[in-house]
Amino acid sequence: MRYLLLFLLPFTAILLQSTVFSFYSIKGTLPDLVLVFVVFFALINGARGGTIYGFLCGLFEDLYLGRFIGVNALSKAFTAYLVGHFQDRVFKENILVAMITVLLSTFINSLLFFFLALFTHDIFNVDMNIVVAVIYQSIYNTVLAIPLYLWYYNSSYQGILRPTGER
Amino acid sequence: MVVFTVLLSFLLMHLTSPERGEISIAENLIRDIFTPLQSGVNKLRHNWGGIASVLNNKEVLSQQIQVLQKENQELKIENQVLRESQAELKRLRSLLDFQSDSLDSYTLLSARVISRSPNNWYRYLLINKGSKQGIKKGMPVISPEGLVGQVGSVSKKSAQVNLITDREVAVGAILQESRETNGIIEGHGDSNLLRMINIPYYSPIKKNDRVISSGLSVTYPRGIDIGVVKNISPEPSGLLLSADIEPVVNFDKLEEVLIITGFQPPETVQGAEDSEN
Repeated sequence: MRYLLLFLLPFTAILLQSTVFSFYSIKGTLPDLVLVFVVFFALINGARGGTIYGFLCGLFEDLYLGRFIGVNALSKAFTAYLVGHFQDRVFKENILVAMITVLLSTFINSLLFFFLALFTHDIFNVDMNIVVAVIYQSIYNTVLAIPLYLWYYNSSYQGILRPTGER
Repeated sequence: MVVFTVLLSFLLMHLTSPERGEISIAENLIRDIFTPLQSGVNKLRHNWGGIASVLNNKEVLSQQIQVLQKENQELKIENQVLRESQAELKRLRSLLDFQSDSLDSYTLLSARVISRSPNNWYRYLLINKGSKQGIKKGMPVISPEGLVGQVGSVSKKSAQVNLITDREVAVGAILQESRETNGIIEGHGDSNLLRMINIPYYSPIKKNDRVISSGLSVTYPRGIDIGVVKNISPEPSGLLLSADIEPVVNFDKLEEVLIITGFQPPETVQGAEDSEN
């Protein structure tokens, strides 16, 4: 059940981002809920699990997008690795920690994605719009992270997302 | 673990590119799983919109009806004039033995927009027609207002339409009135603004000029509305100008599009004629 939910979270995120959220964008900017869930996973489960989960979620997103496969996979895996690397030094139960982590992760992930997209020539016409979009997305992700993390954290320690061995 | 992830990602990036002919089986499968779900969510949203409009104030609705009726009358008059002009144009064309390249000479297939790009980097739409209905990669896509984009990839039941606002898309364009100025329209990821570059410094381009597709690129037919000139500025080299173009299509609110299925770029037609001879 845990694994099914871990799959359904990015699946639902892509479904909502491609339909409902496109009508609730902030100045044309959408949130990245897949990244938010990857960051939560890495924050609670550490670098190794986070990297694998980030890679798989990013790969799933890449396959859905149908452009360069591997760009999202690598950027999300690396972001999750960084979050997981520092996760045992922070108070995970503090919502502020989750918010700051999501904010910084959105910047890091966007920066990585941007350089990979440039490297693969998947993006031309670079301008200030990109920077504005990243700032808006960081704020959007951080706001959405508040209710989502409250549920995710509880679920990871007491609910459906708790690893089987710990029940 | 990290090294393996990096290597695998670079290998995948190396093996895939948007220029590849068809999308992979995995991409096809994922898109076809999403398509009915996205259609369902879209339907729900539409139904909710219907309920909301019923709940709307009666006064607002009657005002809207009045405005629409007035607009309808004006359009009917305009339509009559245009019909007359079209008939005259046909007569003159037949006299001159001209081959028509107007939109009515193309086969159009309508499709419903079921979803949009889930990230901020790409600008595309997903439509509910795919290879089953004869959609192919590269087909131009329009709306009654103007140019929308081009089919980027196709799965069985859906197709991805790259919008002209996408950072990767470029369209050859000219000014509708003067027909003198050639430029290139680029997307910048912004739904409300396009950029026209490579305009010669001596161009008569001015604010509020209409920009249409030039037909010089093999991708889009000639004469499709793109937008209106908003600002003109010199490029750093000083030899060329660039302009901000406000698109005529509202990309955020597009619900239906038309795919030009019978478009053959002039070069292809020429090539076919050559090979026949």
